[in-house]
Amino acid sequence: MFENKKIIIDDNNKLLNRDGLFLKEFQSDFRQVRFFSMVIVQKAPPEIKEINLLEQQISELIKNAVKHGNNKDINKKVRIWAAFDTSFAHVIVEDEGEGFKQLENWNKFNKKRSECFENQDFDAMEKYFEYRTDKSDENDGGNALFATLEYWDGGVVFNAKKNCIAVYKNFEKKKHGIDLNK
Amino acid sequence: MEIKLKKYSSTYIIEVAGDMDLYSSFELKDVVTKMLAKDIKNYVIDLAKVDYIDSSGIGVLIHIYSNIKKLNRILKISNVHGSVEKVIKLTKLSQYFPIVGSVKDALLLIEQAKKGQ
Repeated sequence: MFENKKIIIDDNNKLLNRDGLFLKEFQSDFRQVRFFSMVIVQKAPPEIKEINLLEQQISELIKNAVKHGNNKDINKKVRIWAAFDTSFAHVIVEDEGEGFKQLENWNKFNKKRSECFENQDFDAMEKYFEYRTDKSDENDGGNALFATLEYWDGGVVFNAKKNCIAVYKNFEKKKHGIDLNK
Repeated sequence: MEIKLKKYSSTYIIEVAGDMDLYSSFELKDVVTKMLAKDIKNYVIDLAKVDYIDSSGIGVLIHIYSNIKKLNRILKISNVHGSVEKVIKLTKLSQYFPIVGSVKDALLLIEQAKKGQ
């Protein structure tokens, strides 16, 4: 069954609710994107496995905010709200830019990409490997948001202005001992 | 990121060590671009010592593989593991990239492909 995952645009979505999340503010210093991500991730409890992957996924969101949102303008801030538990990660990243105007187009692009993948048609999928705009440069992979949508299985939401993204990840709890229900 | 080149027969093994991230991935692209210009035919990119890749790194692998394919040359990517494997899977490119187990597997497959040409 073809599953059409997409980025939601909804100011009232519960993922945009900041209650209970801690806040960190950073200047848009591109050199420090991964450092910022590590500052956030260090709050995650040690039980969370694959911390490398979590850091990478948060780093992509911060990179988009610093580079595409704030155009690396050091005077513009990136605000990150986050909460971690052994069972979830909830992160909100907001920049001071004009917003990701092409979000609806991106959803259409991703739908076509996913259809090619479902059909295992990699020749056709090649056209959809990278989402590029007139603002993309050669160092932009153009593929970060595809993985974002897969990794954050509890949802990927933008606000209506599209300068704020909220994501939620469920972590599987490792089962110990014998399951008596089986 | 460190890049070491080893030659085996007509194949170059490109050993990458460190993070393939937004700050470093372009280095691998530059190396392979130069090698393509020198008419090198067969490539193994070994990721045994890479524990971290981001979208820039994935973008570089896409760029390299599509260029190598266009020129009818051969690429194998070996020792993909851990979060690198996960990120490639999340990007839905596991079946697209020419991923093999080890460098030895890669060399064997390249030799077979050469015989078939």
